[in-house]
Amino acid sequence: MSSAIDSKLYKNSVKLCFLCASVLILFFASCSPNRYIKPLEKHQDAANLSLGGPLVKLGKNTIPIPFITANYGYGIDSTLTGYTSLNITSALYGNLQLELGATKQWIKQKKYIPGLSTALQFNLIYRNTDAFKVYPQLDLNAFWEYGKRKNYFYIGASNWFELSQKRTLGETQQNHWIFMPLIGHNFTGKKWDINLEAKIIAPNLSNENIVVDYWTPFKNRGAFGVYIGYTRKF
Amino acid sequence: MKIRILQFLFFLSITVVFSGCLRLDDNLYNQSRLTEYKLDNYTGETDFTLDYSYHIPDSLVHIFTLPSQAPGESAPTAIYAIYIGNISHINTDTVIMYCHGNKDHMDFYWQRAKLLANTGNKNRFGVMMIDYRGYGMSEGKPTEDGLYADVDAALQWLKYKGLTNERLVMYGFSLGSAPATKLTAEPRSLTPDKLILEAPFANAETMVQDGSGLAMPAEFFTGLHINNALEIRSVQQPFCWIHGEADDFLSITTHGEAVYNNYNGTYKESHRIPGAGHSTVPATMGFTNYSDVLKTFITQH
Repeated sequence: MSSAIDSKLYKNSVKLCFLCASVLILFFASCSPNRYIKPLEKHQDAANLSLGGPLVKLGKNTIPIPFITANYGYGIDSTLTGYTSLNITSALYGNLQLELGATKQWIKQKKYIPGLSTALQFNLIYRNTDAFKVYPQLDLNAFWEYGKRKNYFYIGASNWFELSQKRTLGETQQNHWIFMPLIGHNFTGKKWDINLEAKIIAPNLSNENIVVDYWTPFKNRGAFGVYIGYTRKF
Repeated sequence: MKIRILQFLFFLSITVVFSGCLRLDDNLYNQSRLTEYKLDNYTGETDFTLDYSYHIPDSLVHIFTLPSQAPGESAPTAIYAIYIGNISHINTDTVIMYCHGNKDHMDFYWQRAKLLANTGNKNRFGVMMIDYRGYGMSEGKPTEDGLYADVDAALQWLKYKGLTNERLVMYGFSLGSAPATKLTAEPRSLTPDKLILEAPFANAETMVQDGSGLAMPAEFFTGLHINNALEIRSVQQPFCWIHGEADDFLSITTHGEAVYNNYNGTYKESHRIPGAGHSTVPATMGFTNYSDVLKTFITQH
């Protein structure tokens, strides 16, 4: 009796059905790269489409699940950019998921000392009056510009906060913080940017006893996501 | 520039207007279709294979179709059923209504059904099993209401053949815990005398919240209303819960215990099986031990 093998086969099969759901579930909290690491110029507009998702094991392959968000940003001044985003994938499933936020640059780069910015963002997910959530998010970023085109490399951390105290059956909600360290690079053009980012999603949380096998460098902790974004500046 | 921004906003508006066309509900069912039932000759994957001592004579294996009509449906759906036992003895036998899991079809669960039929003694209990609509050779497409209607169609047939409430034992495994619990808490054609749940799930929201780590509403993803953790509160019949401690699909803590702890009926017993995964409870317990647990529960409570 190879019960362990049977169990694995069963899980592999059944989890396919829940794959979509579970990936969406986790990815709603990690559906996009960090916004405007470096703020826009004063009165500058920008539209962005980003694509990316966590890596999941599907059969013998490890694949990223693509999720799409559309974003609009406006340079309020040279250190402050306001923005809003729509999660298109979430919308296709009948949810209005919006990001409303602002990035503020606090410190300018001085040679090897990076520029520092923070972003405060509110993630609103609305389906109906019984299914409505707000997740505050705080991003911390450090970036290094280089070269004539002012491409920049950045590292940072995105933090989601769960405000609810109770779970579905009245149990105490144990986790109130999803921590997502990240690393990325921005290719800067005159009228466009291309952004690549890798994010470790919730390394503080176990990914065991759920229906999807996420690929992560931390084995049984969290998930790992990759993202690409294209920004058109006006 | 403003025109481009307007274009962008128009694109977003179109997305919102046409949003909501996708739901995950259909993806939650993991059925596969068959053109014939092979039972002992089935060579596909199974959780385990019993030796010949569990063999069921052909004369005691009955495959047939049943009409199943969920509320609001204009016509019945033909679903396939297997009854193990002597049909002419249903008016005196104790019958286990086995509600199988989400995966595959009755060929996959045939070994489990045989094990139940031989619980206690050779062909000690009658066993009824169906393929929900869309599973195996059953027609139609799986739905939540369809699950309940399909199991109730089997109960109607059993009632017609002489089964009475006090000889009906409801058994639900995994997804099957939904119709088993529902039709025990809110009986339709027959009122089960006992309820056995193996690796039950609590509700869709628990799956969502386990997967995300956040207290997210399930409605963001699914319209499924299955809620065994609440439904079990209405069950008064004796209740037996079996769950593998190593279940890495439906956690024993967030799913199984939630259901078990919410039961407020006359009698309950729990069997936490060390080392058992989601689908390996009978094999890990040992078939004899598994059968003994069931026989004791069915005959003594």
